[in-house]
Formats: sequence, structure tokens, C-alpha cells
Amino acid sequence: MHHANHFYGHAHVLARYCGLDELNPPRINGYVQHGWNIGDGLAPCTPYAERSPSYLWSEQTRRRAWAMGRRNTVVVGAPWVYLLAMEPSDAAVEAAREGTIWYPFHGWEQQQVEGDHRRLIDEIRATEPGPVTVCLYWQEYRTGHIRRVYERAGFRIVCHGYRGHWWQNTDERFLYNQLAALRRHRRVASNRVSSALLYGILAGCEPAVYGDPMVLSGEDLTFGGVARIRRQWPELHGARVDRETAAEITRAELGVGYRWGPGELREIFGWHAAAYRYEEAQL
Amino acid sequence: MTSQTAPPANLRLIGGEMVVWTDEPPTEPQAAYGSAAVATLVARAVPAGARVLLAGGGHPRRVLDVLAARAGRVTCLIRGYPDASALAKAYADEPTIDVLAGSLSRLPEAERFDAVVALAGLDRVASAEIDELDWAHTLDRLLAVLRPSGTLLLALDNPMGLHRLVALDPRDTGRDDGAWTVPGGPDPSCATGLGALRERLATAGVGVDACYAAYPTLERSGVLVDAVALDAAGSPDGLLDATLATAYADAASPGVQLRDPRPLARAARRAGLAASLAPAWMVVARRTDEARSGQGLPALLCDDTSAGPRWRTLIEATSGTDGWVRRGTVVASEPAGRAGHAGAVRRDPGRLSGAVPTGDLLSGLLLDAGLRRDRATLRRLLSGYAGWLSSVASADERLPGVCAFATPANVVVDGGRFAVLDPSWQLTEPLPVDVAVARGLRQHAVTVVTSSYAHPWSSTLDVDGLTVVLAGLAGNPVERNVIAAAVDAEASIVAALDGLTDAQRVALAERLARISVIDPPPGLASYDQLREAWQRQREEVVRLADRLAWSEKILDSRERALKKAQLTIALLSGSLSFRLGRLLITPARLGKRWYRRTRGRIRRLRRALSREG
Repeated sequence: MHHANHFYGHAHVLARYCGLDELNPPRINGYVQHGWNIGDGLAPCTPYAERSPSYLWSEQTRRRAWAMGRRNTVVVGAPWVYLLAMEPSDAAVEAAREGTIWYPFHGWEQQQVEGDHRRLIDEIRATEPGPVTVCLYWQEYRTGHIRRVYERAGFRIVCHGYRGHWWQNTDERFLYNQLAALRRHRRVASNRVSSALLYGILAGCEPAVYGDPMVLSGEDLTFGGVARIRRQWPELHGARVDRETAAEITRAELGVGYRWGPGELREIFGWHAAAYRYEEAQL
Repeated sequence: MTSQTAPPANLRLIGGEMVVWTDEPPTEPQAAYGSAAVATLVARAVPAGARVLLAGGGHPRRVLDVLAARAGRVTCLIRGYPDASALAKAYADEPTIDVLAGSLSRLPEAERFDAVVALAGLDRVASAEIDELDWAHTLDRLLAVLRPSGTLLLALDNPMGLHRLVALDPRDTGRDDGAWTVPGGPDPSCATGLGALRERLATAGVGVDACYAAYPTLERSGVLVDAVALDAAGSPDGLLDATLATAYADAASPGVQLRDPRPLARAARRAGLAASLAPAWMVVARRTDEARSGQGLPALLCDDTSAGPRWRTLIEATSGTDGWVRRGTVVASEPAGRAGHAGAVRRDPGRLSGAVPTGDLLSGLLLDAGLRRDRATLRRLLSGYAGWLSSVASADERLPGVCAFATPANVVVDGGRFAVLDPSWQLTEPLPVDVAVARGLRQHAVTVVTSSYAHPWSSTLDVDGLTVVLAGLAGNPVERNVIAAAVDAEASIVAALDGLTDAQRVALAERLARISVIDPPPGLASYDQLREAWQRQREEVVRLADRLAWSEKILDSRERALKKAQLTIALLSGSLSFRLGRLLITPARLGKRWYRRTRGRIRRLRRALSREG
């Protein structure tokens, strides 16, 4: 299995959905899109075997990937959608929502975020009505000076976990942690449209996108970068965003309507033999 | 966008642009520059000084040039960022042209236009980004920005078009990068026929001024013919058949096809189905309730590139009460430029001006008569053809330059009257009439043999053999050496057209001389041609095998007879009477031989003595 399929415990969530061993998900016969992006759904500069299936989140990504020469592209929806199907909310949780969870845009390990975190903090304070929880990426969470900047501002700091790398140290509970955190908050906000923002919208949070988008040093602008995201999804930007429009966009981007049943998904991922073995072992 | 440089000033990004997508065809520049037929239609249909929306990528650059010169202001809506950026840079000095990169759904709603040009098809308007609009919603959105009385130029691909019927790849496989949705059939909102298109436009309050059948494909619409005139009884059959054949004669035709579309196009016209089976349609419509007609618009536009870019000519014909009238103009092809003359060949489009000669193409009539095994008609047509050429020849039996191109595919017959269909071609050197006739007939023989048309003669006739037979029927017998001269003349003409060297011309002549059913001339390659070559080879193998078996059988019988004769001889040579006879005859035979030898010696001796004396 491609190691990216294990990021954030995606394969684990999908294996559980299919009734398989969620701690040892079987090998998927292709690549599951592991984050919202504005390219072909796969991570740029990562080697993939040509014509292996790409399991993409949305129909728009499928069209774009096809136009870029990708084939064998199947829309399955985001693993987040499968998680939400297995972890329904309840009235008590919804009633207890409070404050804002804020995701400062981050890069991954080898990139460094430029920009003024302090200016961002002032903007968050001026905008958010209630208590603010800042969710830092594991790299920033461990970087003392960045973490302290947010702590001194009086924000609560959380981290959902480590997404894992080459099957090592993957936190299989990453998405569960994130879902629990999102459901504790009334609002979700970020300085860029990102997977976390869309996850929050789908988990019932009121969205907002504002503040310095913090350009990555050496960020790949092949697909148009932040400017393109603002042009293409202007409805998601601002301190106050129309919830119904945002929800509609999110359902399309995360492929809510494309969630497969467990039996079909097992066939799509080439998991039927693994499923048979697992059932045998259970007996 | 692919770099961090700022976009050109006349380019605006409105959202939904495809950042790495291009609609430009991956072909040579002159093809990308586009069809002069489409550009001329735009020039005739778009009112001068109009505010125009050019909707969709893939429009020929030539159309942009026409609009830049004619329209008041042009807004180009392009989905692919690289195309939009290139366009904006190319027209940076043209203040009347703006480029918008993005999706139609992001076009500012307040914008209104006097004309909307969407001649690359509505699927070229749809971006893969944002929510893709279906065909009907795309059309509605375009009509919403069209002012009352505004002009709409719209193209629609025909899912049942000739190009589909002859395509080797089934269209539903959709392997191209552009096939994230397969255009046409699967979109239930898309008009799938000419009637449905007219109805759809009528429902939206848009009346059709003229509708053109476009050939050979929507992307390469080199030929546009008024859809009504195409199937009308009074239209000039010869001109229309030849024009449709021209559309498919381009060397850039797509690879191998199921079959040659030209006979299908001709058959469709005979059945009144040509407009319904056209590869695409281009509609000139207006948003008005006034009575309208297509007056002022041409009946036929043909961007003739069949002889290559250097000879490119636009033929424009209009229909009137006195028949069809046409004119030809030079099409500047960039960057090749235009020759107009090379070697002994000239092309003068000015000679096309005037009335279109009526009648059917001689080549079509000959094929039909051959299929019917109608020798009388064949004889009448062929002798008429040869007689007509002889009648225009000079006293020394040479043809004037224009008649050198009077081959069956360029001659129309109306009753007993013959005429050259396209008189723009001429040779500067006169051609002997028998060579010209042989050249014309050999071209026809090549079509008959390599396309495997049925004919009343034996399968063993090769191309040259069939030419001799046809010439005999024409009352103009030729020998094979005249046919060889005709092949040389053909090679010289093609060499002049294509700018070949002497060595290439010689090689071409050898290639032309070799043509057979299993070695067809270069050009359209079709699956049915491959199948026919295989079928003909199979038939030939069967014939040769039968002939071999028959020869073996005859050989066996002859060997048996020989053996019997040898046995008899052996038997007889051992008998007493044979031995006695030989004893008597042998001395006489030896004596005769001695007498002849001695007589020869005496004569030689006498001659030697008389020379010395």
C-alpha cells in the first residue's frame, strides 16, 4: 500500500467502515486522496505508479485530474465522510458547542511558514466572539516559540496528532481527535480554505476564512495558489460566511454524495480477499 | 499562473480557469491558425462595430483577427489559462480585445453583447472547475447575455455524424484528456439533431437565419454548406460532391478510419440525408421575432487546403434564382506563405468567379455505371470525355493548360455537356491530348482498383491494364508507353504542388507506377481498404492455388502420356523391323552428311580463289 494511504489513519477509518481490522488495514490497490487540494488530488512531486487507480474526493477533482492526463480516477468521497457516517453526533454534544477552533495554515515538515503570527492573533481576537482554541500542526506544536506566541495570547492550544510518515508513528485516532475537537466548537476558522475547514463545516461548525494566508517558502504555484482559491471559492472567504452556501460547497468538495456502501468499497479497493480472510479469522 | 509573473494587463481572471489546460490543437501553425471558411462566416454574420462575446477556447486565431478588424469590442472567454494568457499577449496592442480566463458561470451578469460567437462547441466553454454547466444551461447562460436582436453563432457536434460513422475508435471510450465528460450523447440536455437544435433555439425565442453543415469535423471545419441547399434537388451536385470530397482530402486527416467517408457523403446527399449526417452544424441565429432569411449569407464556403497550404484558396458560393455563383480568393497561410505558381503549375482563384457549372461529377457517374456493369453508359461517358478533350485540343493535338486538370474528379457532366469544375488550376505547358486522357483515366482506374469498386472486367486487370481498357471504350486507344508518360506527367504536377526535388519526383513516379490494390496511393487509410486488400489477396491466393492444382493435373496427364510414348519408343526400338530399317537408313544418312560438308568446302575454296584472282 502507498504510505500516503495511511496518513491521518485514513486507511484505518476506511477499513473499519468496511468491517475489517481497523488496526491493520489491508493494502489498497490505488491511492486515496489524503487532503483537499486544487490539483489532481494527489500530492505533487510524490511518485505514483502510472494508471494505478486514484480514489478522489470530489467530481470536480476527478474532472480536473482527467484533464491533466490522469486515468483510472474514481470518486469515493473523503475518509472524513465515512468517519462521520460511523460517528453520528447527538443533541447533547451539539448543545455544548462553544467558541472557535482556529487552524493557522501550516505546511508539512520540510516547509516553513512565513508571516506574522502576532498580526494574525490580533485579527483573531478582534473577530472571534468567544473563546478560541488554536489547533497547531504537530511541527508547530512542538516548536516552542510558535506555540508560546499563541499561548501568551490566551488561546487554548491543541494538536490532533501526527499524521505519520512511511507507516511510522501514524496516529490512527487523528481524525477521531479532530472530530471530537470540532464538535466542541461552534465555529471553525482558518487563514486559508483547507481540509480542516471543510471538515469543520461538515461537522456542523460555522466557517470563517480571514487573515494573512501565510505563503509557504518555496510554495508551488503551479495550480494558482491562494489567489486561485479566493477566485474560485469566494463564498467561503470572510469573517462571516453564509452557512448554507458553505455547506453546499463542502458537500461537493468532500464528495458526501459519493460515499459507497461497505460491500462496494471493499470491491473498489480490492479488499474482497482480505475481507474473506478477516471473516475466516473472526470465526 | 504557472510562474509567478503577473498576467497580461488585458487578461482578467474571473474564477474557474483551468490552470494547465489548453484547447489549442497540437498541430502545425497554419492548421492552428484555423479555417478561413469559419472566419468568413463570422465576417459575414457579425454586424460591424458589434460588442462580441467569443465564448470558449479552440476558436481559430483567424476568427479573432476578423473580429478584431470588424467588431467594436471583443470579449474572449477562455477556460484554459495558458490559452487565455497567450491570446492576451498576442492581442496586447489591440485595445478592442479583452480576455477573460475562467468559467462561463463567473461571467459578470450585467454584461450584454450584440453577438455571441460559440463556434468551437459549447463543451469548449465548460470548465472542469466549479460546477460544470450542462449543454442547455450553457446555452441559456449565453442567450442571457445576448441583447435583443443580437446574433448568435453556435456550433454543435453531431453524435450521428459521418465522422462518427467512420471512426475506428468508438466515441464512448473517451480516452482524450478533454473527455472528462464525453461530449454529445450522455448529456440529456444537449440537442442531438438539427431539428432538435432548431426547436431548442425557437423555444428560447431565437430564430435561425442559416444553418451550415460543417465538414470534416467541428474542430477542422474547412467546408461549410447551407444545410437546406445541401440536400435540395436543384443544387449543383458536382460542386457539392467535389467540395465534400475536398473536406476529406486534407493530408492531416485523422489516422486509420473504418472506411472512406467520401462515398458515404455522396450517398447521403443522394438520399437527402447529408444535412442530418453532417459531422457538425454551425448556426447563425438572431434573437428576434422578425421574419428572417439567410439572404446575404453564402451557401457554401470551402477553405480548400487539399493541395497543401501554398495553394490554399477560399471558395465562396451563393445561390440565386439563376443558379449558383462563386468566387475564389487567396487564403494567406501563415507561416508558409502562398505560392500561386510552382514549376509548370499555376493556380489563379480569380478564374473561379462566375456561374457554377451544373451537372454531376464524371468520376461519380463512371463509378455508378461500373457498379451497374452498364457498359453502354460507360462507353458514352468515356467517349464523350475523350471527344470533348480532343475538341478543345490545338491542331498539334495539345491541350490548353486549364484542360490538363480536366480529370474525371474535376469534370462535371450535364447531359452531353462537359465542363471543368475548378478552372483555377492550369499548366503553363500544353499537354498532349492522349497523355491527358490517359492521366484522367488512370486516376479513375486507381480509384476503382484501390477502393475495390465493382466493374465489368476481370480481377486480373491491374491499374494500367484497366486504363488501357477504359481508353479503348473511350475510342481513344492508348499503349502502355502513353500511360507511362501520363504517370510522369502526374508525378511532375504533384512534385510542383508539393515542392519536391528531382530525385523525389522520380521516386514519386516509381511509387505511382506501382499502385495496386495492396499498395494504394498515400492518403486516407481505412479499415475497409485493409480488409479489401486482404480479401483481394485471399482471392488471388485461391486463384493461384487453383491454377497450380490445375497445372499439376495437366502436368500429371502430360507426364503419363510422355511415359507411354517413351515406352512405345523403347518397345519399338528393340524390334527386328526397327533394326533392319536402321541398317538401311544409316549409310544413306551418313552419305548425305558427307556430301553437304564437301559441298561447303568446295564453295569456300572457290570464293577464296576468286578474291585472290
